Amino acid sequence: MTTHRFIRPAALFLSIAVIALIGSGLSGEAAAAATAAKTVDNLNAAFNGESNAHARYLAFAAKAGEEGYGEVASLFRAAARAEEIHAANHAAVIKKLGGVPKADIQAPDVKSTKENLEAAIKGETYERDTMYPEFLAQARKEGQRDAIETFNFAKSAEAEHAKLYTAALAGLGALKGSSAKPYYVCTVCGFTTTQMNFDKCPVCFNPKDRYVQVS
Amino acid sequence: MFELPPIPTWDGLHPLIIHFPVALLLVAPLFIVLGLLFARQRRPLMVSALVLMVLGTASSFVAVSTGEAAGKLADRTPEVNQVLQHHEELAERTRLTFTVLTVVFAGLLLGPAVLKRPLATVPAVVLTLLFLGVYAAGTVVLVNTAHNGGRLVHELGVRSLMPPPPVATASAAEED
Repeated sequence: MTTHRFIRPAALFLSIAVIALIGSGLSGEAAAAATAAKTVDNLNAAFNGESNAHARYLAFAAKAGEEGYGEVASLFRAAARAEEIHAANHAAVIKKLGGVPKADIQAPDVKSTKENLEAAIKGETYERDTMYPEFLAQARKEGQRDAIETFNFAKSAEAEHAKLYTAALAGLGALKGSSAKPYYVCTVCGFTTTQMNFDKCPVCFNPKDRYVQVS
Repeated sequence: MFELPPIPTWDGLHPLIIHFPVALLLVAPLFIVLGLLFARQRRPLMVSALVLMVLGTASSFVAVSTGEAAGKLADRTPEVNQVLQHHEELAERTRLTFTVLTVVFAGLLLGPAVLKRPLATVPAVVLTLLFLGVYAAGTVVLVNTAHNGGRLVHELGVRSLMPPPPVATASAAEED
């Protein structure tokens, strides 16, 4: 009997708590969608940037191949694949937030491989140091978790691209006449590397079998 | 005025929940030691230790899951990625270690009663001491996990995404 007396108030309390939790969750989601406007703009800017980088790097790869820099051509192709992955990740989040991904693909400005590498380093450095940190700060402010994740993935991969391009530029003379070289690109986060000396991707922590070889 | 804090999201729960496995799983062996020292209170002290281990292990599952969600939102640098990955691996090892330890301790404590073959005092004490030795090794993994988590927060500045303050509070702060 005594136990019975507590069941109803306890059930009532639990019901109110559950309703409050669900209500809070729903209002939180609605609030998040309502305050995502700036992040959707940023995602679209990033989507446009990544889509253009994909096209540009493929053109740079063709030029590097023509000039006899096979290894540099492989690097550009691998980076192009990574940018394609970033663009797809950004597009998925834009759609989730109710937006439409739009990219204005410009004709790539292709110069010599040396100049192309310099341009690529400049672009990646800007994305790593300026663009993605600003977009991340805004996404954090708006509590946009999916956007934070996709920006984080892209920022980490761009940092690695900048390193790889810098190394290629430094040793460009020795790469004349080189043949294609295998690079590995994570299909989840776009991280690009020459050595698969890990079990899990160092950025998204997915198993290494999610990597594809690009050469 | 009485004000309820905002309800944290799953990833935002991580900084709150991580203290449970650390505290509960480090306190549990103290009850085992007390149970060995005070023979008359051995049974209730050992049962208390088991309850703490079950709660600690259960909270380690929540800690790992919320941590995976929180890790996706961390500001990434190569150093953060490295420590974060190590932290995740250690956390998974902690969860497995204490799951096994809890099952073994439950077997030690409840097995003789279930099988109706009570252990004599000396073998029971020896087995418990052996268990404590293995448990000590487990706590090294636990403490390392906590240390790496601490490095992420206090050395590398990684933080969870907390819910925004209530609108009324935010506007009041702006007025100030």
